[in-house]
Amino acid sequence: MSAAPRSGEQTARRGKPEAIILFWVSRQMFAIAAESVQEIRSTDSLGGAANEIDQQAVPKVHHVLEWGRRTCYVVNAGAHFGLPVTRPTLVLILRGMRVAVLVDRIDRMMEIPAVYPLPQAFAGEERRWYRGLTYVDDSVIPVVAPSGFLSPEELAELDRAIKPLAPQHEMEGAAQA
Amino acid sequence: MTAGDNSSQNSFVLLRIGAQRFALPAALVAELAPPVKLHRFPHTSSSVSGVIIRRRRILPVYDAGSLLLGKGVAAQQIYLVARCAGAQKELSAIPVNGECEMATGEVQPPDGDRPSYVKGTLRIGEECVDILDLAILIASGPSTGAGADHTEARP
Repeated sequence: MSAAPRSGEQTARRGKPEAIILFWVSRQMFAIAAESVQEIRSTDSLGGAANEIDQQAVPKVHHVLEWGRRTCYVVNAGAHFGLPVTRPTLVLILRGMRVAVLVDRIDRMMEIPAVYPLPQAFAGEERRWYRGLTYVDDSVIPVVAPSGFLSPEELAELDRAIKPLAPQHEMEGAAQA
Repeated sequence: MTAGDNSSQNSFVLLRIGAQRFALPAALVAELAPPVKLHRFPHTSSSVSGVIIRRRRILPVYDAGSLLLGKGVAAQQIYLVARCAGAQKELSAIPVNGECEMATGEVQPPDGDRPSYVKGTLRIGEECVDILDLAILIASGPSTGAGADHTEARP
């Protein structure tokens, strides 16, 4: 076995060659489209931009990140994928979304020829988690769907959870002014 | 119906999963594949153990031991590739232990107490072998004896 599936033989290719970032979470490698990542930061560098939020509705989120003009919810990728808990050191801030993702480390950036559809046998949450599969260094790697980290319902839950914090922030801002 | 049609309908591949023999209609079987690398990644589909790459296709691998016997089966040696995913007609693989053979024989309807995925019984000499309906087997999920938490993601 030395080659990835070819166009037209498996199911149809999705899209065209694209740049991806390979990252690790709990000894599992994932891929994400490079264009969907705005910034990669060390968790240490976030400083006061990250605030802990107290909510149980979405257990994979413990922090909210004020980034630019956005409020991003920080998703622990290990918890999201049901993997053993690790100590993430990096955060991927996703482009155009209110989501940042905690990961263990970045492997590298590369171009892949195609993303192949997830077989229909996979019928659970993974259909929301992944755009498809790709083949890198003799391994099949899931390509994550950025929109799969938080559903609209989860975002709404989190918005409700942080609402009570807003007046406090406003007061702090007023006091500093 | 021609004699050829009849013969192909009564042709089966006999396979062994764990200690038991089962039969699959030969028309559904694409090939017996060598034990290529099983690729795993997190998911929540409890009957699927991962994927293999075969003839430039990504094929899901069903955990036949859990589906049929309620437990994982060690030392499976090869993959049987068949069309078995119901409406999708997707090629899929199940690990078997290598003792596969072709057989024809008298097909009888299943006894009333057999699971729904047994669509008949193949009589070969003195032996009776369950004929599997893979689509129903897969849809039914792991056997209740598995004791697995079906909601947990599987790395």
